[in-house]
Amino acid sequence: MKVPISWLNDYIEISDLSVRELADRLTFSGVEVESIDEVGARLDDNFVVGRVVSAVAHENSDHLSVCIVSDGTAEFQVVCGAPNVCAGIMVPFARVGAVIPGGGFKIKRARLRGVDSHGMICSAAELCLAEESDGIMIFDESVCAGTPLRELLPPPETVLDLEITWNRSDCLSIIGIAREFAALLDRPLKLPSVDFVESDAPVDALARIKVEAPDLCPRYTARVLRGVRDGVSPLWMRRRLEMCGVRAISLTVDVTNYVMLETGQPLHAFDLSRLAGQSIFVRRATEGEKIKTLDGIERELNSEMLVIADAERAVAVAGVMGGEESEINREGSEDVLLESALFDAASVKFTASKLGLATESCRRFERGVDPDLADFASRRATALLVEHAGAQVAQGMVDCDSRNFSNTCIELSFERVRQIMGVALSDDEMLRILESLSVYVEERSSERALCVVPSWRLDLTLEADLIEEIARLYGLDKVPSALPRTAAVSTLDDSFFYHRGRCRELLLGLGFTEAMHYSFLSAKELDAFDKRNVSGRAVIPNPVSADYGVLRDSLLPQMAASLGRNASRQVESAALFEIGRVFRRDDQGAIHEDERVALGIMGPRGRAAIDRRRPVTDEEAVLWLKGAVEALTDALHAGELTFKLSEHPAMERGWCADIILNGECIGCVGLLAAALRHHWRMSLPMPLAELRLAPLLSGVDKIAVIEPIPAYPAIKRDVAFISDSSVTHHDVLECIHAAAPEELTKIELFDIFVSKEIGKGRRSLGYTLSFRSTKRTLTDQEVNESFVKIVRTLKEKLKVDIRDS
Amino acid sequence: MTLAELDKLQADSLMEVANAADAETLEKVRIRYLGRNGVVPAIMKQMKEVAAADRPVFGKNVNQWRKEIETAIAAKGTEVSKAPSNKVLFDCSLPGRWHTPGARHPVSRVIEESAAIFARLGFSVADGPDIENRFNNFTALNTPAHHPSMDESDTFWMGGDQLLRTQTSPVQIRMMTSHKPPVRIITPGRTYRRDTTDATHSANFHQIEGLYVDTEPVSLADLKATLAYYAREMMGSEAGVRFRPHFFPFTEPSVEVDFSCHVCRGQGCRVCKMSGWIEIAGAGMVDPRVYEFVGYDPAKVFGFAFGFGVERIAMIKYGIPDIRWLYENDVRFLAQMR
Repeated sequence: MKVPISWLNDYIEISDLSVRELADRLTFSGVEVESIDEVGARLDDNFVVGRVVSAVAHENSDHLSVCIVSDGTAEFQVVCGAPNVCAGIMVPFARVGAVIPGGGFKIKRARLRGVDSHGMICSAAELCLAEESDGIMIFDESVCAGTPLRELLPPPETVLDLEITWNRSDCLSIIGIAREFAALLDRPLKLPSVDFVESDAPVDALARIKVEAPDLCPRYTARVLRGVRDGVSPLWMRRRLEMCGVRAISLTVDVTNYVMLETGQPLHAFDLSRLAGQSIFVRRATEGEKIKTLDGIERELNSEMLVIADAERAVAVAGVMGGEESEINREGSEDVLLESALFDAASVKFTASKLGLATESCRRFERGVDPDLADFASRRATALLVEHAGAQVAQGMVDCDSRNFSNTCIELSFERVRQIMGVALSDDEMLRILESLSVYVEERSSERALCVVPSWRLDLTLEADLIEEIARLYGLDKVPSALPRTAAVSTLDDSFFYHRGRCRELLLGLGFTEAMHYSFLSAKELDAFDKRNVSGRAVIPNPVSADYGVLRDSLLPQMAASLGRNASRQVESAALFEIGRVFRRDDQGAIHEDERVALGIMGPRGRAAIDRRRPVTDEEAVLWLKGAVEALTDALHAGELTFKLSEHPAMERGWCADIILNGECIGCVGLLAAALRHHWRMSLPMPLAELRLAPLLSGVDKIAVIEPIPAYPAIKRDVAFISDSSVTHHDVLECIHAAAPEELTKIELFDIFVSKEIGKGRRSLGYTLSFRSTKRTLTDQEVNESFVKIVRTLKEKLKVDIRDS
Repeated sequence: MTLAELDKLQADSLMEVANAADAETLEKVRIRYLGRNGVVPAIMKQMKEVAAADRPVFGKNVNQWRKEIETAIAAKGTEVSKAPSNKVLFDCSLPGRWHTPGARHPVSRVIEESAAIFARLGFSVADGPDIENRFNNFTALNTPAHHPSMDESDTFWMGGDQLLRTQTSPVQIRMMTSHKPPVRIITPGRTYRRDTTDATHSANFHQIEGLYVDTEPVSLADLKATLAYYAREMMGSEAGVRFRPHFFPFTEPSVEVDFSCHVCRGQGCRVCKMSGWIEIAGAGMVDPRVYEFVGYDPAKVFGFAFGFGVERIAMIKYGIPDIRWLYENDVRFLAQMR
C-alpha cells in the first residue's frame, strides 16, 4: 500500500522525523517498507506557465501540432505531439535549457520533420506528477503565463510503499498507519473533521433501503446528498489519489476513493435519480442475473453472490464493483446516495474471485473492515462533498444494522509474556504498550490483566496475539539470544535420512554426480518412455504449463534428457544419479509415492581418461552401470543381487535386465533405445538404471560378520577357452562349481574377447581359479587333480575348446 | 705384476671412480674392478705369480685397495644419487589415472550441512509425503479460511483433499500428532507452489523447517540463539541475525529473520542490495491454535518454529545467480560443487 508522508502528517505529527527513521520504525514494528518513492521533482526556472497562442497541424505529420507558446514576455514556436493541445489553454512549458526531472534530459532546440521547435509542452508524467498521463497537463485559466511552475505545483513528495501482512487489514488505510505511528512514537492521533450541516429533508423520505441478506451484509448505511456539483476534484485530492495509485475520475467518485484510502472503509456513490423506485435492496443475485459493471463488461451472477439492487435490477456487486447504469454522471447537479456498508469477507472474496475482479474495495472487505467504521467514513465523505461540491445533506442516515458485534476481551498473563519473549519486561511496560495501541485494560491483578481490543483490530483474538503486539512494539530485535537449556539429546528415529545420505555418499564415491529434476514433466515426455500405465499417472489439474503437467512415475525420462542435453552442449562424458520420489494414482484416486534412485552414463565415462577415443561398445556401457549397481548394493549390505533379461519400452531390445534383490525385482538396467537417444543426436550407447530406494537401504545398519584372514596360501590355475556366445558367464560358473571341491574359493574372469580368428558367434573367456583350504596348505598334486576334473567337465558339458597357454 | 704396477692400477681405479658422472657409469666402474670377473678378483687369482717376498705386502695392498674402491664407490654413489639428473623417469605433470568422485547437488549439500548443524543442537530429521491433505497443510496450521495461499492459483490441488504440499510444515503437524512433547525436529523436503519459473522462483523447490516444542518454557530468545548458531555455522563465524516482525498464520509472534550479509559483512553490497542484511527465514512462537489442532494443551506447552528455502541458501552461499541452474543439471555447473 502506498502512503504519502505528507498525507500521514495530517493525522500524526511526524514532520520532525526523517523518512529513513519513519521507514525503519515501521519495518521493525511489522509493517515492511518495500520501497521509498519520490513523487514529483524539483523544477528549475525554465519551467513556467505557457499560454498556447495558436496550434495548427504540422504539414508533414498526422499527429504533431505546431504551436506558438507565450511565456508572458516572449513567444516560441513549439512542435507538440499531444492530442489535447489547442489554442488558448494554459500549460506547463519547458523552455530551452530546462532539465526534465527523472530522466534528466535537457531541452534543446530541435527540428521535427522540418519545423523548428524551441521548448516542450509537458505532461504530468514528464513532470513526475503522475505515473502516466495521456496528453499534456492543462491548468485552469486563472494562472498567469510566465509564473514559475515551482510556485504552482506541489513540492516533491515521499511515498512509502508498504507490504501489509494478511492479518493487518487495519493498516490498509492512511489513518491505520498513522495509528501505528501514534503507538510507536507515543503521540496523539488527530482524526479529520466529519462535521457538516444537515438540511431539513429527512433521508427516509428520499430513499428506501432493505437488507434481505443480513448474513452477508450485517450493516448497510446510506446518506442522501442533493445538488452535488460534480466536476474535477481539487488538485491536492487528485494528487493524493494518484500518489496512492488510484486514478482521479470525478469529484464524487474521487471523494469515495479518497475516504476509502484515508479510513479503510470502501464507499460507493449511486446516482439517486437512476435508482428505480429510489430504493436499494441488498439481496442475493438471482441465478444468471446480469450486470454491466463499471469496467464496461457484462457479467453473469449466481445466487451465492450479493448484489445491491434497486426496485428493478442489480446496480452493484456488493463490495466488489458498481454498475455502469447507476454510475455518477459527471455533468450537472446530482442527487447522490452514499453507501457505507459492512459486507461478509468470505462472500466478497468468493464473488470477486468468481468474477475475476480484484478491486481496492474487495481487497479491504476480503481481509476485514473495521465493523464500527461505516458511519465515520460516511460522515467524512459527506463533509468533503459538502465542502467541495456544495452538496445539501438530507437529515439523518438510513442504518440497517444487524451486527452482532462486541469488542474482544482477552486475558493476559504477565508471566506468560515474559516466558514467551525471554525478556524480563515489567507488567506496567506491557500495559503501557497495549494502551498505546488503544487496547483498553478493564481489570488488572498482580498476575493478569483483562484487555479489551479496539474494533479495528480483528486480528487480536488470543493471548498470543497480545504477546505479539507487546513483542513487536518492545522491539523484536532487542530480544536477547540464549541457547535452549534443555537436554540436547535427539530421541526421534531419523535413520532414514542418514541411510539415504549413505546411499548418496556411495554413489558420489563411485563417480556419479547428483542431479535433481522437477517432480513434474509433460505427458509427452512420459509417453515417449513408457505408456504401459497411463491411467495410473497423477495428472496435475492446474499445472503451471503443459510442460509440467504430470507428476513423474519414473525418474528415467528426465535422467535421459539431462544426459542428452549435456551431450548436445559438447560435454564429452557424464555419470549422473538422482534420488527422488515418483507418484502413482490408484483406482480410488489416491496418490502413492515411492522413492527411487536413477543412474545414467553418457559417453566413455567408464574408461581411463586417455582411452576415450575408441568407440564404446553396447556391452561395456551397460556393464559399467551394472558394475555401479553391484558396488552400491554390496556396500549397502543390501543382499543377494541378480539380473534377469527383460524388456522395457524405453530400452533397446535385448539390452535390458531386471534388477533382482533378494528375489524381488527392484528396478531395471539397460541401454536407452536408439530411437530415443537420437533425439539428442547421440551415437554412443546410454546406459540407464532405476531402482527402488527402500529395499536398497534395508541392510545399511547390518553389522558385518568378520571371517578370519586366510592363514594358508592359495594356489591359482588359469583356464582359457573358446565357447559359443550362448554360453553365459553364469553357465560357466555353475559348471565349474559343480565339478569343483570346496577348496575352490574364487573364480575370476580375467579376459574376454571376440575376433575373426575365433569366428562369428563364439568368444574367448579366461578364468583364474583360486584354491585354498582353511585348515592346511594344499599340494600342487591335489589342486591339479581338481583342475583337470574342472577342465574336463567344461569340455563335456559346455562343449568349449580349451586354449593352450 | 709388480707392486708399482699395482699402485698405478690403484690410482687409475680411484680416478675412474672420482670421474664417474652418474650412477650408471659408477656401476660400470664397480663391475670392472669388483665384479666377479673384475680386475681385483683377477689380480687375487694371479697372487702365485707374484714374487714370494712381495706376496704379503702385495696381498695386503690388494685388500686395502679393494676397501678403498668400495668406500670411494659408496661415497660417490651417494653423491651421484643426489646430483640433479636431466633424465626424466616420471613426468609428474601427466594427468593422474584414478576416477574422480561425483559432486553432491547444492540442494542436498545445504540439506545435509543443515541437518548436521541442527543435530548438534539436538534436532532430529523428520520426513513426510509430498502429497498432503488440506488439514495438515493448511487447517492445522491455522491458515485463515479465505487465505489466498489455498487458491487454485497458488496451490496444486490433486483432486479431492489431496494437494502437493506448499511447505514442509505438515511434517510438523504429523510429528506433533504422533509424538508427545518435547519434539525437536527439522523437516527438509520438497515443496510446490504455483509460481511461474524465473531467476528466483520455481514451482518445485525445497524447504527446511524446524520445530521445538517443550513443556518447559521456550522463548523468542531461544529461537534467536538457535538461528544465530545456524547462521554462524552455515554462513561463517561473523554472521549475525536480525528479527523483524511479520505475520504467519502458524506462529504468534511471527518474525522475519535476516542474516547479516556474508559477502560484505554488513557493510552493504550488491548481494544484500546495500542493506547489509539478507532476508532468509520466517519464524516465530507456535500459535496456540496450532497446538489445539494437534491435541496439545496450549497452556502447557511452549515452542518455536522456523523455515527457510534451501535453494535460497544455496544461491546466496555459493553465489548462484539463477534458481533454474539448480534444475538444469548441466554437469559443468554441478561438478563445481565438489
